[in-house]
Amino acid sequence: MGEKVARRDWIKVAGAGIVGLAIGAGATYGLMPPRVERIEVKPTPKPIPKEPLRLGVVTFLSGIPAPSGIAGLRAAEIWVDWTNAAGGILGRKVELLVEDESEGVEKSVERFKKLTVEKGCEAIFGTESTSTGLAFGKLAEEMQQLWLSWDGTTQQGLEETIPNKKFSFPSIYNEAEAVAGAVLVAKYFPNVKTVAGINDDYSYGRNCWEAFMSVLKTLRPEVVPVKELWPKLGESDFTSHIAALDAAKPDLIMSSFWAGHATIFLKQAAAVGLFKKYKGAMVTAGGVLPTLKKEFVPEGVLIGCNSWYFEHPLGWPLRDKFVKEYLRRYGEYPVYECDHAFFTFQAYKAAVEKAYALKGEWPTKEEIANQLRGIKVPSLSGYRGYREDNYQICNFFLGLSKHDPRYDFVTLDPLDMVPFELMCHPPEMKFHDWVKTWKS
Amino acid sequence: MKIDIIKEVSTIIPFKNTRFTSILIILFIIALIAPYVAPPFLTYILLTFFCYVPIVIGFNLLLGYTGLLSFGHGLFVAIGMYTSVYLMRNYGVTSIEIMLILAATLSALAGFGVGLLCIRYVRIFFAMLTLAFSMVFYSFLLKFYWLTGGDEGLGIYTRPALLGMKFDTLYIMDFLTKVYYYYVLAIMVILLIFMYRITTSHFGICLRAVKENPRKADESGLNVKKYRLYAFVISAIYTGIGGALLVQVTRHVVPAITYWTYSGEIVFMTLLGGFNYFTGPIIGAFVYIVLRDLIMSLTIYWRVILGVALLLIVIFVPGGLMGGAKSLSKLIIKKRESYEFS
Repeated sequence: MGEKVARRDWIKVAGAGIVGLAIGAGATYGLMPPRVERIEVKPTPKPIPKEPLRLGVVTFLSGIPAPSGIAGLRAAEIWVDWTNAAGGILGRKVELLVEDESEGVEKSVERFKKLTVEKGCEAIFGTESTSTGLAFGKLAEEMQQLWLSWDGTTQQGLEETIPNKKFSFPSIYNEAEAVAGAVLVAKYFPNVKTVAGINDDYSYGRNCWEAFMSVLKTLRPEVVPVKELWPKLGESDFTSHIAALDAAKPDLIMSSFWAGHATIFLKQAAAVGLFKKYKGAMVTAGGVLPTLKKEFVPEGVLIGCNSWYFEHPLGWPLRDKFVKEYLRRYGEYPVYECDHAFFTFQAYKAAVEKAYALKGEWPTKEEIANQLRGIKVPSLSGYRGYREDNYQICNFFLGLSKHDPRYDFVTLDPLDMVPFELMCHPPEMKFHDWVKTWKS
Repeated sequence: MKIDIIKEVSTIIPFKNTRFTSILIILFIIALIAPYVAPPFLTYILLTFFCYVPIVIGFNLLLGYTGLLSFGHGLFVAIGMYTSVYLMRNYGVTSIEIMLILAATLSALAGFGVGLLCIRYVRIFFAMLTLAFSMVFYSFLLKFYWLTGGDEGLGIYTRPALLGMKFDTLYIMDFLTKVYYYYVLAIMVILLIFMYRITTSHFGICLRAVKENPRKADESGLNVKKYRLYAFVISAIYTGIGGALLVQVTRHVVPAITYWTYSGEIVFMTLLGGFNYFTGPIIGAFVYIVLRDLIMSLTIYWRVILGVALLLIVIFVPGGLMGGAKSLSKLIIKKRESYEFS
């Protein structure tokens, strides 16, 4: 028979348990953090200014880069029309004020100040030139004015000049297409041993060649440069350069021509069948893709289209809608500057709306800038954004030229989408240090 | 003989009347109060104009007073700009007075070297030689990337100290339009007074003699080449100082300043206002800068419009705006006199 528990003993144990529980509960309660009533604080919305929102654009409307600048402006105008038709930004209609960038840095700086001080623009968009980009980046910080660049950066050579940017939002690194081009050359033309370069004799051309060779030599250490040609920007007669390239007999010819001179060069090169003899890497020529006709661009040339390719097998409704509208208005296909321009406006609108949602009133430029950092928005080429150091994040499209019977210009097949991380070094590293970390 | 020719040209000494002096005083008062009554951007445009005044009056010492048309004065503007930027970026110099002195010294040295070779020639040969020197410098700036920043140019990231005083905490537009504005205005006035003294001095009269009839001047005992060289050096100093002042406004310098089109703008300003008058280039610079600002926002073809304007001026008013104004005033006086007689 088991031992019987006396009632008195049971009461003792139960009493001790109850007292213990009471002390424990009391102690636990005492040690618990004070209970806080969670009250949802919603900002009291303040009236949004009624006057139209003025946004300034400084881009090339004349000169060699004008086709690119005008394409960007057209995209901006389409964006403004669509946005205004949908009610504007937080109900404010958008008004574009446009100035020409082609008159050089001194006058472009004057235009920036005019749009900011006299015209009261809330942000400045545009800029293609690297020198104007350098000046605008600094100016934006000094004037505490938002500057969302389409193509200009704040790089001097391959190095950043404004490490802690607040108000300036440059484009993607200048050398990105050259890096992507080198990666794809290694992929598609693995037997290349000798390379000749023909690039514009100015910073962009020189930076592209430097970056291209740096990456290619890392991936294929056996590759050697055999010829470097530096025609001046604006050159239209490349016959002597083509003869020199032919004489060098390289395995591959690399060029970062990006505007009408890419078309001219390819036309003149076709006369001697240059790209039938040698492999070609035109890393930025896709900027004028609709002008690269099949009769003078053979199949198999690597062509870079920056962030934008007019057609994509995966499809993207916003791109399709835009291409249709662009074709309807201007009777031609859009180029990459359209994507850069469209993205900057999309990002600005999203940042204003995010800042408003937090604050309940029309945000300041600083508040908009804070929202722009790290933002991700749908643009024409897919989702794009800004990195924490204010640089644009986007993927690039490159591929081999193909003669598609549906178009009179060359299309790209296969088409590669090169991710941002593969083209752009992290902000804390310098370009060449970053490339050294690559494995061949 | 020497005295005769000086007497001959001394009759052309500009503006000694009191009406002109009172206009100058009124303009100076307007310039003084402008930052407090005019919109900030207009003040900014005025500041740009003030920076151009030394450039155009320096240029006109050659064209208007010595009869030498330089198509390469952008070279000296660039020397002034690059000197300032280089001192600020590479040596941490903030004193604008040091920058101005060095810009003037280097411009003088460059002016002496270039002038020594150019003054042997006149007319189109002189113009072409100066243009060539400027374009050589342009190529140098483009190619020596490690030194000059190439086509990207060089920017400045700090503010200058004016008379030892720093204004780093001021908003940039306030610094430019409320502080730097007065500094440049003061420098401009000093340089204007100096230039007026130069042009009305014995030296200035000799320059005019060299311009009007170099052979006669030579026969009168004037060393024509020496006077031309002096004028070239002074002109270079003025232009270099203008460049050093201007770069604080643009905050960035690119090689395009030495390209011939920029030197063409200096020629344009001077012709527009009238190179035969002391104030002609100043008025030309003012009209050009204001018109450029207005028309640039309206059309990308602003150069065409200004080009047509210049064409009309050259054809119908060869003396420029000042010459036109003088002809008009003469006509009015003549009509008034004929009316009084009748």
